[in-house]
Amino acid sequence: MKRMVFFGAAVAMSMMPAGAALSFEGMSLVAPDCNYGGKIKSIVATDEHTATFTMCSADPAFEAKAAFIVFGIQPSEHIAAAGPTKELLTNPIGTGPFKLDAWNRGDSIILKRNDNYWGTKPAYETLVFRWSTSGASQLNELRSGTVDQISTVSPDDFDAVKNDGDLQFLPIMGPNTLYLGMTNTFAPFDNVKVRQAIAMGIDRQRIVDNYFPDGSELASHFTPCTIPNGCAGEDWYGFDPAAAKALLAEAGFPDGFKTKIYYRDVFRTYLPEPSTIAVEFQSQLKANLGIDAEVAPMESGEFIGQASAGKLDGFYLLGWGADYPHITNFLDYHFGKDTQQFGASLPEIYEPLAKGSAIADVEAAKPVYEAANNAIRELVPMVPISHAAAGSAARAYVKNAGYRPFGAKQFSLVDPGKDTMVVMQNAEPISLYCGDESDGESTLVCTQLTETLLDYAQDSGDIVGGLATSCDPNADGTEWVCHLREGVKFTDGSDFDANDVVASYAAGLDASSPTHVGNTGAFDYFASLWGIMNAPAAQ
Amino acid sequence: MTSLKTASANAAAIVIEDGLLGDPVPLWKQTFKRLTRKRSGQVGLFLIGFMVLVAIFAPVIAPYDPNQVLIGIEQVKRRDPPCVHMFGCDVAKPQHIMGIDGNSRDVFSRLVYGSRISLMIGVVTVSVALITGVLLGSIAGYFGGWTDNVIMRCMDVILGFPSLLLAIAIVAVLGPGIVNALLAISVVSVPGYARVTRASVLSVKSQDFVAASRVLGGSKWRILFTRVLPNALTPIVVLATMGVASGILEAAGLSFLGLGAQPPTPEWGTMLGTEKDQMFSSPHLVFFPGIAIVITVLGFNLLGDGLRDALDPRLNS
Repeated sequence: MKRMVFFGAAVAMSMMPAGAALSFEGMSLVAPDCNYGGKIKSIVATDEHTATFTMCSADPAFEAKAAFIVFGIQPSEHIAAAGPTKELLTNPIGTGPFKLDAWNRGDSIILKRNDNYWGTKPAYETLVFRWSTSGASQLNELRSGTVDQISTVSPDDFDAVKNDGDLQFLPIMGPNTLYLGMTNTFAPFDNVKVRQAIAMGIDRQRIVDNYFPDGSELASHFTPCTIPNGCAGEDWYGFDPAAAKALLAEAGFPDGFKTKIYYRDVFRTYLPEPSTIAVEFQSQLKANLGIDAEVAPMESGEFIGQASAGKLDGFYLLGWGADYPHITNFLDYHFGKDTQQFGASLPEIYEPLAKGSAIADVEAAKPVYEAANNAIRELVPMVPISHAAAGSAARAYVKNAGYRPFGAKQFSLVDPGKDTMVVMQNAEPISLYCGDESDGESTLVCTQLTETLLDYAQDSGDIVGGLATSCDPNADGTEWVCHLREGVKFTDGSDFDANDVVASYAAGLDASSPTHVGNTGAFDYFASLWGIMNAPAAQ
Repeated sequence: MTSLKTASANAAAIVIEDGLLGDPVPLWKQTFKRLTRKRSGQVGLFLIGFMVLVAIFAPVIAPYDPNQVLIGIEQVKRRDPPCVHMFGCDVAKPQHIMGIDGNSRDVFSRLVYGSRISLMIGVVTVSVALITGVLLGSIAGYFGGWTDNVIMRCMDVILGFPSLLLAIAIVAVLGPGIVNALLAISVVSVPGYARVTRASVLSVKSQDFVAASRVLGGSKWRILFTRVLPNALTPIVVLATMGVASGILEAAGLSFLGLGAQPPTPEWGTMLGTEKDQMFSSPHLVFFPGIAIVITVLGFNLLGDGLRDALDPRLNS
């Protein structure tokens, strides 16, 4: 027996004799039943190098989800010891190409090469993450040579970067969406006519034309059309201020109302100039609908927390970048049954989504996603604005600086031609336990430290091996057997095995586990993509 | 009471300028005359006068509404540089002498309307701080004892914090916005006025004409407000003039940090803060609001300097 790790949730987690290896006692996570509404029935460490996922219903997106960095694997002992105390937030232990050396709060995160890494070792020793909320100041730092690569370039600076011989322009290919969110539990957004009026009363094309770089698109649906079934169903409303005003009057607000536009003043791929674009929305709401909206920037972590919990009482500007190439990544996360982001979840939307997530065939799933997209259009939980073209930049000497279509960038493959690579991203990570984070800054750093069962290819949306060489489904897609890579070690020196998989998933999935603490405890991705087991009735 | 008035006027030591004969020349006339003789006073008066005129006639001077987004109205792009036809800009392009901002609005119009806000900020903060500070300082100075101790120790506590930091803390508690910023700046400015007033009152209250008032049976409050305070105001007037400048500067600082005036208000500090990252790509967006702040603050500082000289009896030979 390699490890003896006991979790408090006796119902969900137990040590069980392994069938294949007599010296290994595998752990398991078993849901009492599938009535909890989630996807996973059980996860069992079948033997030291095999983890078996049994599903409540077929999940065609299983592989794409399993490659997502929020489901990164950490040692079971570490999770048991550091999870309940929140030490996981600042002390991640992974199998990745780098290990955490120091987190200088407010300044930088320093990673050192993992010399025991099982894959291709980084060509340099130290990877430093710094941050700045503004695209322009990131570019200034890059030009001055104090950083080697930056996360995002302002659309206004695309040409300047392309024409600068010392720099290289790096297109970011991942699909994304900017939307204007509303919470339907706050007046007047509890009135669907108000939401529909806003959907018609904003000149979205004007925003795309003036605030986004060439190649950006007006959003016809919440999900970009490059994602299969993303654009099933009717297109979004056209701009019709007269009809919008009439609808607003019908809803009882002929002269508009007072509210706020919340946003975080952090440069995002989908929102390149938050404060400027917020003012554009403010101008349009006033001019087209008579709505007095005060712009209200918020601290990044607080904004995400309040938006996710459905606590913002006004409009809010938020967006989404694809984590994996499946429509569930866009729709299920935002409009699933347990999502509180837009207030009360809407059965007209989440019921078809639940059906769609169990259908593997894209064409067969199309009618279901048509229904879901049409319900989103009808009920307007938010207004989709744009799918932005985006770019990043690096110093010209940095090799392999480009981005892959899905998944955060892996800086282990980059070669700066020196011992230290300095990367500047848009904000400080909220924490380094990405199981309970959803911001790109946290996941970018986590990607260098921890690894997932599967991974995304560098040049396409294909799924490739990660900590598992493969995950194979049974005939009806209700069971996935993941064959784990052998000889992999964590950066604390311990061996990687199937129990680590069970423990890592259990920390996020099992609400009754003492390790289910995280940062806010929301575990948004676990909740929306798999479902939370043993959740208290109040949740 | 006639003799009392004469005593009071004599105590001010600036009643008669042209010898001992003839009618006394009013203080404000003498001060204005001396002010206009000094270069700093002249320049300060000119700059402030110019800004006041710009603020009053903003709707006439500004070619656009300050919040008018020009997308779809004119062929302009966000952050277009200044276009002045007489300096060679293509006449086919619309003229925007200070360029276009990040939301496609005319920078010149916003700057012109911004003068109203900045002057209002200066005047309001100084008025609130002045009234409160003078009241507290004069009571502390005149009554002395524990009243003096309580009031001045409270002022010392406020003075213990760097003013901008304290203003940021107050706004952080109250929430961002121009009214809260005004309140915060007023609060941090009060101790300055209170201290100067107290010192001035302490000096005036020992004068003979005050003693005479007391002997004649004047009540404490009456003596304070009709005899002592009017004769203690000279340094406070100078401080208030300078205070307008620092009020404008601090409000611009708070707005720059996003804690003062909120968009779309065309406040100079907000304009600077919003576009600070474009300093290299669109320098006009930070240059013009910066210059406007400099000119206004310089104007009030020069005026304050001039007033100090004009009101200083030692420099009036």
